[in-house]
Amino acid sequence: MNTLTTSMLAALALSLSMSSSAHHSFAVFDRTKTVVLTGIVKEFQWANPHAWIQVNVPDARGRITEWGVECGSPNMMVRTGWKKNLLKPGDKVVVTVNPLRDGHPNGALITIKLADGTVLGPGNTPKLLPLGAVTTK
Amino acid sequence: MLSSMRSRRSWTSASIVLLALCGIAACSRPAPTLTDAKAASKPVSQFTGVWIPTGSFEDPAGPAPWQNTPWPEHPPFTQWGAAESKRLDDHSSFRACTPTGPVFFMWEIGLFPIQIVQAPDQLIILRETNGIPRRIYTDGRAHPEDLEPTWMGHSVGHWEDGVLVVDTIGLNGKARALNGVGANAQVSSEDAKPRMPSSDALHLVERFKLVANDELLEDEITINDAKAYTQPVVLKHYFQRRPDIDMLEYNCNDYPRDDTVASDSAKGRT
Repeated sequence: MNTLTTSMLAALALSLSMSSSAHHSFAVFDRTKTVVLTGIVKEFQWANPHAWIQVNVPDARGRITEWGVECGSPNMMVRTGWKKNLLKPGDKVVVTVNPLRDGHPNGALITIKLADGTVLGPGNTPKLLPLGAVTTK
Repeated sequence: MLSSMRSRRSWTSASIVLLALCGIAACSRPAPTLTDAKAASKPVSQFTGVWIPTGSFEDPAGPAPWQNTPWPEHPPFTQWGAAESKRLDDHSSFRACTPTGPVFFMWEIGLFPIQIVQAPDQLIILRETNGIPRRIYTDGRAHPEDLEPTWMGHSVGHWEDGVLVVDTIGLNGKARALNGVGANAQVSSEDAKPRMPSSDALHLVERFKLVANDELLEDEITINDAKAYTQPVVLKHYFQRRPDIDMLEYNCNDYPRDDTVASDSAKGRT
């Protein structure tokens, strides 16, 4: 029984590993679905090509699932208010994501709400200025 | 005093050596220069600065009346072009660290700024997420006859009444789609359009000019690629001058995760 359980766990681990190592674009996220995660930041990976937030999310029974949340690149993010030390392990956050289509606990960040109420997105284009607002002479 | 004498003596010695080397008749003729070519290519518009593409995911065309040309719903594909477009439409073809070619470099979506540095003999365009710049020679040179294919190709430009006309060839045909990263990779109506491939036969003609009281840069791009398209594709992209924005650093493979969108290319598997 123990052997069988171990084998099943090993197979599951291999399956997850194979799935997660497959390269993908943002098309792997289901843009028609949103999931709201209320949890605690485990780690904030401030790096290129994309930043990631690891969030421990408890369910109704108290079981913890660790979600990986993919953000934009740091250069995109700083233009919308992000900083590398904005999140720390232990911070309580509410994160809205488009989840992976394959059901694994990863998602593309839509918004994150910090404990102080600040809401940020994954990084976006700088806003255009109205014509005439830029001095060129 | 002593140093002055030494200086005069060395100048005299140098003159004698120079005359001996080149001969009086030869040195009386002006040395070959690019003066004439430079005069013919004198820059009359100032493009130096940081610019943001005017489109966004929500509004790829950008504000009227200076709007980015929509990508074609039905591009004039050759058989090869249609097949290549289909290949690029598969999201597994997407590699975040694969360089863009010169067309996607001038993307109409303003996610990342570009910076133009205009020197007397060339114009350099940097894109925040690209390690390879575009370099457009304006010193009158022609394309080399035997070009090694590269990601950005070889660009030469000349001025026509304030318009910089740029001719680019020598592409390696390996860059991403001309119109973006990959189907459904971003949230934009343009992502539903066919991917626009290119080959090593790509030949671009661009006309850069300032419009809207010099606040916008217009890049009219004519895409000639007989392997991929049965006729040229012409479009205009616009950029807003933004002295308030600094270019930031980006290095695609800082910390590639197995499950990040860039994993394969960041690990050198492309």
